[in-house]
Amino acid sequence: MIDFFRANQLYIVLAIVLLIWAGIVAYLIALDRKVRKLEQSLRKD
Amino acid sequence: MKIVRAAAITLVTLVLVAGIAIPMTASPKGWLEFPTIRGLEQNARNIFFHVPIAWTTLVAFLVSMFYAVRYLQTKRAEYDIRSVASASLGFMFCFLATVTGALWARFNWGSFWNWDPRETSIFILLLIYGAYFTLRSALESEETRARLSAVYAVVAGLTAPFFLFLMPRLMGGLHPGSKDDAGGNGPVLDFKMSPNMLTLFFIGLIAFNLLFVWMLDIRVRVGMLEDYRTRHKD
Repeated sequence: MIDFFRANQLYIVLAIVLLIWAGIVAYLIALDRKVRKLEQSLRKD
Repeated sequence: MKIVRAAAITLVTLVLVAGIAIPMTASPKGWLEFPTIRGLEQNARNIFFHVPIAWTTLVAFLVSMFYAVRYLQTKRAEYDIRSVASASLGFMFCFLATVTGALWARFNWGSFWNWDPRETSIFILLLIYGAYFTLRSALESEETRARLSAVYAVVAGLTAPFFLFLMPRLMGGLHPGSKDDAGGNGPVLDFKMSPNMLTLFFIGLIAFNLLFVWMLDIRVRVGMLEDYRTRHKD
């Protein structure tokens, strides 16, 4: 695995970009949950 | 905000595509070729993503501090919402800068974590802001929570430039720009960015900051609605 990344460095760049993307997605999912909770509490009324 | 959103999406896409797709050659001809940086090779491309993320961290923490000061001046709940929203985004960017840096370090410095001054300082910053969210969740009274966390955010925001800019430059380390790294000729690599790399790097800085502004806007709007909901529950 390590040797593969060493030989194909562009994949390290890809992994780093994917990590950033994963972080942003995780934040968006958390935000999505907040909005859903708000919607549910509004629907109860 | 529509312009910010369009610019953020366009510029981040541009940086992602150009940062990965522009080929690297030993003797670049023209703007569509990057020079090979000895010791980094393809890994040099991480500069376009890892560094802007770290910069955005600082911007987010300073924005959080600004709104904390505004809260203390006016006692308006809106500023507390803005301050915590910015701090949460700053924490996310801080965490991403740490994780991407650790992965990069594995392949250029030999291990995921080396306790280089910049790694140490960003870790402390994560702890400081981790404590900020713990403090917030521990306080029940809204007014006390907003007031105490605003004071904390001001103190924490003051430490951020010190940890991200000053300390890593005052001490010797592995990152470019450390004390023993005069003129960018660091202990591990001969690091100089060509004009086209520098341009893309600055576009990256602007792009990720615009992305932050857009995400902050969404997070603040959700915060405002939550606040409205808790005030008008009955």
